[in-house]
Amino acid sequence: MIGVNLWRKLLAAGALLLLWEGAVALSSDAVLISSPSDIAGYLSENFALIARASVETSRNAFWGFLWGNAAAIVLSATMLVLPRSERFLLALALLVFCVPLIASGPILRVLYGPGTGPQVTLAALAVYYTTLLALLVGLRAVSQNWIDLMRVYGRGPLATLMRVRARASLPYLFVGLQISAPAAFLGAMIGEFTGAERGLGVLTLRAMRGLETDATWSLALLSAAIAMTGYGALGWLGRRAVGYAPEILLSAPRQDADQTWWRSLGQTLLIVACVVAVWQLTMDAFDLNRFFAKRPGDVWGFLIVAENRDTLVAALAQTLGSALPGYLAGLSLGAGLAALLILWPGLAQATLPFAVALRAIPIITTAPLLVLGFGRGLAGTTVVVAVMIFFPTLVACQQGLRQTPGQVADLFRSYGAGRFVFLCKAQIPAMLPAFFASARMAVPAALLAVTTVEWLATGKGVGVLMATTSSTSNYNMLWSCVAALAGVAAAAYALVAALERAILRVYASEQLT
Amino acid sequence: MISPDIICDAVTKSFGATQAVSEFSATLKAGHTTALVGPSGCGKSTILRMIAGLETPERGEVLVGDEAPDAVARRGALAMSFQDPSLLPWRSVSANIALGAELARKPADQVDHLIDLVGLSGFADHRPAALSGGMRQRAAIARSLISKPEVLLLDEPFGAVDAITRRRLNVDLPPLWRARGTTVVLVTHSVEEALLLSDRVIVLSSRPASVVADIAVDAPGPRDSAFLDTPAVQDHARALYSALEGR
Repeated sequence: MIGVNLWRKLLAAGALLLLWEGAVALSSDAVLISSPSDIAGYLSENFALIARASVETSRNAFWGFLWGNAAAIVLSATMLVLPRSERFLLALALLVFCVPLIASGPILRVLYGPGTGPQVTLAALAVYYTTLLALLVGLRAVSQNWIDLMRVYGRGPLATLMRVRARASLPYLFVGLQISAPAAFLGAMIGEFTGAERGLGVLTLRAMRGLETDATWSLALLSAAIAMTGYGALGWLGRRAVGYAPEILLSAPRQDADQTWWRSLGQTLLIVACVVAVWQLTMDAFDLNRFFAKRPGDVWGFLIVAENRDTLVAALAQTLGSALPGYLAGLSLGAGLAALLILWPGLAQATLPFAVALRAIPIITTAPLLVLGFGRGLAGTTVVVAVMIFFPTLVACQQGLRQTPGQVADLFRSYGAGRFVFLCKAQIPAMLPAFFASARMAVPAALLAVTTVEWLATGKGVGVLMATTSSTSNYNMLWSCVAALAGVAAAAYALVAALERAILRVYASEQLT
Repeated sequence: MISPDIICDAVTKSFGATQAVSEFSATLKAGHTTALVGPSGCGKSTILRMIAGLETPERGEVLVGDEAPDAVARRGALAMSFQDPSLLPWRSVSANIALGAELARKPADQVDHLIDLVGLSGFADHRPAALSGGMRQRAAIARSLISKPEVLLLDEPFGAVDAITRRRLNVDLPPLWRARGTTVVLVTHSVEEALLLSDRVIVLSSRPASVVADIAVDAPGPRDSAFLDTPAVQDHARALYSALEGR
């Protein structure tokens, strides 16, 4: 049976390749699309070069994967042991995560100098937050009864952590690790975009700038294939090690009942002050050169000059204007398709594996192709941002729709309610937490996508401002861009989170703890 | 093994604005089985949880022998079976049962025997997800028995178990804890179950829980299904029902 299945799959793949080849041969746009034979040709001609670059990028991604996930484990354990630190640490982790990688890249480059430091750090930065969130959910995915059970035998928090929480969080950890694998690869590639000597990112940048279609296609597909291999391998390992998948991955932010607006404001200010202090102190502690390692004071001094501020604000407005349509399109398409697929369950069974697999592709590695296809204007940017957000949203919403308990479904069926009524009255409310969780996570993703496209291709916005300032050594502007992006991302994230709380208070109050 | 008396002295407990238990006093004798019956949500489980040390009374005191409940828990001399079986999903049935001994720091030498006793032979290596609700609950009861506790607290232990198995367990399990001299406190909705298992039945009023009736079950004869048909026990049953109905 397996043999027959395999043959069928091979046949389908072969047919697909032939179709592709034929379509390219017939189309007049040979400049934009490469055929499988072109790609095979390019890969075999440049085999040694590409193999070296792949090993280099994979190695950087691997180290970043290790460091980032280790950091996530340490952070989550700290938050569990010291619950009071959680709110603060989580906000800090979010703020760092919100800085688009393409913005931290040039900064890390000037701090580290030549070498693989920035790539590895970016890979780590790309993974730690998702693993941290998954772990925090996992460590709490413990029923109160299990904790009572431990207490009935006179066992305390430590025994609970070791015997119950650690084991219960294992499937969540593996999901985090699995999503990390392509993310780490993405981080390493972005590190290479921002000024490395070797690696697939460097080759991609060169191919893009030189308008080499075959090279761009080959490198994008190869990067995607490597990232998906990592995703698949960790998924297999997780299934072997754990044997079952976790129930709920994305959850609404925790909020204390006594939280008032002035306390939130106070906490926000405290976090901002801490970030500024950490920034200043790291620079001083390592005695970094003031020429490229700007302090908060330098950025402030730079930005109070109206001319500088206007340049930055104009670029930011451009970037946000490009990001917003893609963000909204990606979210609504993802949620809409999830709802459509649930109405036709057969279709969903066929598409879910694709959606899960495509979620694994670091979309940024295919951004060059999308820009080739859709142009360097608003359309191209919108498509890249939308595609970046679409797949995670689709998968999360499909999982959310399936959260509706079977008994509720039976109840609706017993009244003869149709699929559409069931969708609107039971499934969509059940989906909302997952939808908003992905809407929050999509904020940094959208900014990353838009700045990367700007850096690579469009020549507009903050992305390109950073690219030019890092090459002209205008480090004041570079640091200002990074600070502004982090601020904007955090503010947008907070906005989505506030909207989420307002809506979930009505539809899913039990999810707000 | 000498089991302790359980002394509840004017115990009061509220959750927010609702008072769950008000001035509950009783001495539950060592080696006896006491059933707490009463309407849903009347605070029986809260009393049980205070005896387990899971809740602290805001007034009054619970003593197990001369110790506080959490001290008994730390000795591994307490075990509880919850309404929800709360099995660990990554452990097999036998490993879940053995957990009771591990946590109490006692030898896990009776796993197979207990699996047979609760009727789970052949399921020792199954994960909880593969079991029915009633089977999970039976595994949880076995887990509470394996550490040979001095104090055994059963919160609706057979709620999800099917009627036939429930009747069998009601007859088969008590000899085990009677032989060990365990002090047992049982929360149940079933008057028949309370009579079959207990030496004493305390009927509680609706929230806040306080004692409405206190009946000693002193009918002679073996505690099997025929026991319920003896005139003395039927008198008890009538008395219990009228207490529950507030007459």
